[in-house]
Amino acid sequence: MTTFSFSLHIGETGPLVKGSEPDRLRIPIPCHTPILAEGDQVLAGTKIAIANHDGSGDMHAPLAGTIKDILPESMLIKVSGKDRAKAKKPPAEDGETIREWLRDLGVSVKNITRSTTLIINAVPPEPGISIYEPLLRDYRKTLELGLETVQRIVESSKIFLAAAKGNRANAFANCTVLHVTPIYPNGLDEIVVKTVTGQEMLPGTLPDDTTILSVKDLYFIGRVMETGRPITETILTIDNQNHLIRVGTPVGFLVAESGTMVQPGDRIVMDGLMRGLTAINLEQGVDKDTTSLQLIREDKGLKPTDNFCLGCGECERHCPARIMPGMISRCAEFKQFERAENFHIHSCIECGICGYWCKAQRPLLQYIRLAKYELALLRETKTPSQPLVEFIETGQNGEKE
Amino acid sequence: MIQQLEPILTVSPPPHVHCGRSIKGYMSETLMALLPAVVMAIYIFGIDALRVMALACTVAVITETICSKLMKREQAIDDFSALLTGLLFAFLLPASSPWWLVTIGAASAIFLGKMIFGGLGANPLSSPLVGWAICRISWGGFMDTNATMLTSSLAAPLQQLKYFGLQSIQSIQSSSLILGEQLGGLGEVQIAALLAGGVFLLIRRHIRWEIPTGFIAGILVTAWIYQLIDPTTYASPLFHLLAGGTLFGAFFLATDPASSPIGCIPSVLFGLTAGAMVIIIRVYGIYPDGVPFAILLTNLFTPLFDRIRPKPFGGPHKLMQKGMEDAT
Repeated sequence: MTTFSFSLHIGETGPLVKGSEPDRLRIPIPCHTPILAEGDQVLAGTKIAIANHDGSGDMHAPLAGTIKDILPESMLIKVSGKDRAKAKKPPAEDGETIREWLRDLGVSVKNITRSTTLIINAVPPEPGISIYEPLLRDYRKTLELGLETVQRIVESSKIFLAAAKGNRANAFANCTVLHVTPIYPNGLDEIVVKTVTGQEMLPGTLPDDTTILSVKDLYFIGRVMETGRPITETILTIDNQNHLIRVGTPVGFLVAESGTMVQPGDRIVMDGLMRGLTAINLEQGVDKDTTSLQLIREDKGLKPTDNFCLGCGECERHCPARIMPGMISRCAEFKQFERAENFHIHSCIECGICGYWCKAQRPLLQYIRLAKYELALLRETKTPSQPLVEFIETGQNGEKE
Repeated sequence: MIQQLEPILTVSPPPHVHCGRSIKGYMSETLMALLPAVVMAIYIFGIDALRVMALACTVAVITETICSKLMKREQAIDDFSALLTGLLFAFLLPASSPWWLVTIGAASAIFLGKMIFGGLGANPLSSPLVGWAICRISWGGFMDTNATMLTSSLAAPLQQLKYFGLQSIQSIQSSSLILGEQLGGLGEVQIAALLAGGVFLLIRRHIRWEIPTGFIAGILVTAWIYQLIDPTTYASPLFHLLAGGTLFGAFFLATDPASSPIGCIPSVLFGLTAGAMVIIIRVYGIYPDGVPFAILLTNLFTPLFDRIRPKPFGGPHKLMQKGMEDAT
């Protein structure tokens, strides 16, 4: 447990390995609406679900097969056949037309908006995740095509490439390379934006006229432009090797491929060890934004407790957002979510460092996420059309929390 | 998707790695840091010191067990926090304390100092000091080390300074003070041993430099100011640093995690305030040693110190608007 290092330095990594074909795919669609029904035949590249949120990419079938099951958060496809949907031709128009075309093919275009500064994040998001390395080394052409395409929408005058000191990073044309100290959490978007622009933005927001994309984003946009086919893959670091994996590949299949046996009680972490979520079972499929897959044995890894906060302040001293995770967790623990706002909960960049240092082994990040979620719900129910009326009513009923 | 599939996996929130520290580790290393002072106390005050320490620790642990039971809580005595509170409390007592005083003090340190506020981490005041304050105020005569240990040949520097003036302490050597050859709480006067323990805690990063540094600086500066005012009445800063429980307070009492502020600047201010208060109580108060009361008083200011915060990342932001917040 204590051997974990916060260093973002990546040593030599091998080439990108293409993952093998699973016999079934469980495609996560938590924020999508399925447009096909059970029993429908799909080709590789057929659109199967539409994004609910503005700017998120639609979901496509990575392989041909039959839809066997549709659940609220996932869709099961039994793979059969090799047929592929017809490739689409990129539009010649710039701006909104090509943006919509990319979104239609599964690209998340939330951050692809017109702005003067474009930041390309090549800093590993978390220790041990080296997905950008093989891309920067072996797929220059695709990345350049991706950047060119993005520039047709963003039209920025300044491009920055943020890279961790000591890691490989060759600049693109008209692009300034900026080195950041290779220590977690310096690779998170919020911190990278701060390093490049000098502006601290509330997590989840970007400065006006600045946008940030990762190397992985550029690669997949380049791929879409090259092939005219939708994004149906992601890049995962598994055991220091980078794999090109189809979205929806069950984690159990990937773990078995890597030659490890899963014991009961183990956890499979999707994404890094500081922020990643665990798979519910071996059938869960990887998502488009999954960056890594790690197996943690039952006796290793942090077991969160419901110990009381000691008040030692370790979390506060290590917090990159300069807030008091301990106090926020106390508020969340006793359901005083609105009080958590007094401790600046919205400044939290959810890096998980507080939980790493907590002597009481409290699940601090989880408490913060819970409070954020509850606050969002509260705001939805409490957003009054006429604040004054509600205020009077509540006052009359004497309902005080 | 939630269906039972073998093997059953652990589902747990991030982070999945940890620095490896625990409450129990923190408590046991603090106990280890106190060990040299325990040995020195037994060496200087004899078996009586051992009696007081053993009784205080036992009573503290038993009280916590009973409280947890009454509060229908999971028993947590195996984290050694009650043991630590008991030992810290014993360190403040004279070796001559009668058994009932030790028992009442240790029990109230746990009950009134800690459990009544919700247990570990919720105490607004340093819990050993609560027990000490109750005993000191209720049975002052028994808590007075000078009066109860007349047979001892050791000097009682703070009492002599208080009642007989600066002249009476001229003969006391700093070196004998450092070695613990003075009357006072049985553990709090083991200056050299406590210093070693404090340095150990600092190296192990269980305590931070801010509070001890602020505390010691507060004492030295305030004592120095008084000495400048009138060198014939007020003792030197070094004397104040070495006499009584100054270093014990600086490294072990003021640094209590729950009752001290957590930021860097607040911690320094907290230490400075407590240190200055020690000298003010020693000079004007009716109690010879001001350390426990100074720390207790400063504990009350902790929530205020904690309000000194840097600007949060991305600036303060609230989802709830002002009017809505009032309405809830």
